[in-house]
Amino acid sequence: MSTISHDDIERAASQLRQAHESGVPCAPLNQFIPATDIEAGYAIQNMNTDYWIAEGRKLVGRKTGLTSKAVQNQLGVNQPDFGMLFSDMAYADGEDISLSRMLQPKVEGEIAFILGQDLDSDHLTLADVISAIDYAVCAIEIVDSRIADWQIKIMDTVADNASSGLYVLGSEPRKLGEFDPQLCGMVIEHRGEPISTGAGAACLGNPLHATLWLAKIMVDVKRPLKKGDTVLSGALGPMVSVTGEGVYELRIDGVGSVRASFVDGK
Amino acid sequence: MTDIPHIAEIVDTAAHDATEISQLSLSGYDLTPQQAYDVQAESIDRRMKRGETLIGVKMGMTSRAKMIQMGLDEMMWGRLTDKMLVEDGGEIDLKDYVHPRVEPEIAFLMKQDLSGKVSPLQAVEAVSAIAPAIEIIDSRYKDFKFNVPDVIADNTSSSSLVVGPWAKPDINIANLGMVMEFDGKAVEIGSSAAILGHPARALAGASRLVAEQGLSLKAGWIVMAGGATAAVALKPGVQVRLSVAQLGRVNFSVLP
Repeated sequence: MSTISHDDIERAASQLRQAHESGVPCAPLNQFIPATDIEAGYAIQNMNTDYWIAEGRKLVGRKTGLTSKAVQNQLGVNQPDFGMLFSDMAYADGEDISLSRMLQPKVEGEIAFILGQDLDSDHLTLADVISAIDYAVCAIEIVDSRIADWQIKIMDTVADNASSGLYVLGSEPRKLGEFDPQLCGMVIEHRGEPISTGAGAACLGNPLHATLWLAKIMVDVKRPLKKGDTVLSGALGPMVSVTGEGVYELRIDGVGSVRASFVDGK
Repeated sequence: MTDIPHIAEIVDTAAHDATEISQLSLSGYDLTPQQAYDVQAESIDRRMKRGETLIGVKMGMTSRAKMIQMGLDEMMWGRLTDKMLVEDGGEIDLKDYVHPRVEPEIAFLMKQDLSGKVSPLQAVEAVSAIAPAIEIIDSRYKDFKFNVPDVIADNTSSSSLVVGPWAKPDINIANLGMVMEFDGKAVEIGSSAAILGHPARALAGASRLVAEQGLSLKAGWIVMAGGATAAVALKPGVQVRLSVAQLGRVNFSVLP
């Protein structure tokens, strides 16, 4: 049970919002909230989710983070985390993305699942997840941190909406069964070089497993996944820093391809 | 004067006896890359005099992860002999190695000879089959440390290979997921795209690089395209399995 005062939660939440709005990163929250207090992290994230929804932002999905063993080890945890996706975070394939919208972006290659049914039962199994998925598309998740220099511990990233930034969805919908979610190859290319490679299995063994984990926890925290929601299921390979203007192309075998095109300016 | 036969004897003996040696470059043997390939050729001649036959070549340093791991930036190649083949599902004994590591690969079986500068398309046209494969690399140098000529002279750390079921080459191999497991747990996950962006480029590279040494890839030879992920050190008793999308599985185990 987290023993952090409401004032500290509020202070942390407001610090993150300020960084988000000003584009100036803030100091690590772990300076005044214990770095391992995941519960406090979610309390902060939740406070900001409520704030953004009240401000008129529309919740359109969720993301699963920390789905690779290597990243979990780095942060000293043995579970994934989750964050909220708002409609203003979504971009289309190849659409210009202004670097000024982000502080210190990195890209990851993922499979996005779009739901055709609600996942709001208390007893979800993988069968419910498979039945509920309408289609899959390639997605580049552009993660970002409001914490200066990505100096994050587990609590910081959870509080900071699981380091969500923006995301780009591909436009070639695939049904489950049309590709191999576990053994599909993943490559992100930048200037002709493969800069991140992996496969479906890198995401908790299978992106469908990560989606089940997410669906269950969303029921627990009373923000269940709904028909039409987008699920960014988790990275299939290492994240890569965005170094400036340019195009990053993701290809997932059997799923398709999608490009994130970063440009300077507003 | 560089005594190629003498240096070839050093590396061949180390490989044959599975004994560690210090880097040639730290032992007064400062080779050029060409001299290093001469040493490699000579050391393989010694193996052939003992009755081994050449079955193909392996490419090395073809993945970004591998280049970073080794601090190198160029592709290289080594020779494969029949004695290096481990049966799919077979066993190895660590005492036959110095400090072996495994990496997930794609293997090509040559349908026809290929030599010189060719396009990836021409390279793939010369292939009769493709298979998932595990390479067991084992540098004979202390701490797996070497410079470029050192590793070339040491037959680019070639030690053994395990080749899985052969499939017809009508599969798009650009971006196949590859999962290497130890005892059922994933230890490395990658894609064939890590091999120079497409494994066919490694095959074209093999054709070009062996031609520089006056050789050609022969019909019936195996060409190992290079590791798709970082290499992982073997442990006693471990079961190693590689699954590659569309190509299937290959496995072997290490005796306890």
